[in-house]
Amino acid sequence: MTDARKLQGDRLSEAEAIERAKQGDAEAFETLYNLHKRRVYSLCLRMTANTAEAEDLTQEAFLQLFRKLGTFRGESAFSTWLHRMAVNVVLMRLRKKGLAVVPLEETIETEEESPKKEPGAPDAMLAGSVDRLQLQRAIENLPPGYRTIFVLHDVEGYEHNEIAGLVGCSIGNSKSQLHKARMKLRELLKTSRAEKAIKP
Amino acid sequence: MNCAEFQRVLPETIEGGGNAEHQAHLNSCPECSGLVSDLNAISQTARLLRASEEPSPRVWNSIETSLKREGLIRQPLRDRSVTGRSSWRLSPAWLVPVAAALLIVFGVIIYQRGPAQPSQVAEQRAPAVSTQTINLQTAVNRANDDQQVLDAVGFKSPAMRADYAANLQNVNDYIRDAEESAQADPNDEEAQQSLMDAYDQRAMVYDMALDRSMP
Repeated sequence: MTDARKLQGDRLSEAEAIERAKQGDAEAFETLYNLHKRRVYSLCLRMTANTAEAEDLTQEAFLQLFRKLGTFRGESAFSTWLHRMAVNVVLMRLRKKGLAVVPLEETIETEEESPKKEPGAPDAMLAGSVDRLQLQRAIENLPPGYRTIFVLHDVEGYEHNEIAGLVGCSIGNSKSQLHKARMKLRELLKTSRAEKAIKP
Repeated sequence: MNCAEFQRVLPETIEGGGNAEHQAHLNSCPECSGLVSDLNAISQTARLLRASEEPSPRVWNSIETSLKREGLIRQPLRDRSVTGRSSWRLSPAWLVPVAAALLIVFGVIIYQRGPAQPSQVAEQRAPAVSTQTINLQTAVNRANDDQQVLDAVGFKSPAMRADYAANLQNVNDYIRDAEESAQADPNDEEAQQSLMDAYDQRAMVYDMALDRSMP
């Protein structure tokens, strides 16, 4: 970045910030953080459903990234590298806590997971519209294994083969657990909508 | 194909679209088409949650502290020679701690006043126009404080000005939401706490700006 551009108050580009951060430039570190903080923090928050833990994991992910910045050669996109690192940091934390990161291949559906409908009873629907805040709350109430697959696929946009590699399961299992997570979310959203309708 | 058969293959077909047989069942079965429509709506809304949350400013504070402690951040020598003692006196950086202190005092006063008593509420309702005037004045003062902070940051580090402007915008939005909730229900302790948290976040951004604007 030239002094002239700096005087104009231009923001550092990502590539410039990476090079300057490698030299220990404080401003460059902050620029990189500001560029990616929302995506990383949101990922951590969705996967843990806990604000304090999400902040802690965000900090850990960025610190790991900055420590390894010298090894970044630009073969992959910086954001891909960072997000993959953030996912690994979160998964490692979940494993340490003993929470199910890898969903079971053969999930035995409980009554709660697979609500049975009375024969002939109409199935309440969401009518194709979902409130963002309600969905956010419903994701928090998903079992951790389902939540991981759902967040990685539907929120973060990872493909099933990438998820299989990240969490250590088969592609088929990832697909099947994603479907179960969506079905569970649908039930949670319907319950939440019904409760809201009862309240005056 | 019946509903049970369709729903058995749904995990595999929902992303790929399915074959003609699946499509025929969907066209003839309102229950299954409603189910697919709901699942698609969930999936589409989920994308809106990506990058939707802002971390507290203390996250960067902690990261910066660790980076300094580990020696990953190095202060360039030229900065010290260019911005000497005389430029510090001329710069508006001294305004930042003053603004931060005023902000904290303002927040504490608001907090100590706590939920309004009924008589106070009655008194406050009568002069509605003057309350609006006070709110307007508060917003103007806040904008002036922000401007001074941004000028101070921009003086030392022009490239970071835009980032701090965005941070202050987020925090101000948070404060405005919290103020609205607290005004709507003065007895709502959660709203009062959110307001205090919002003021804390703002003070934290000011603190970071102070660090940034120091020579």
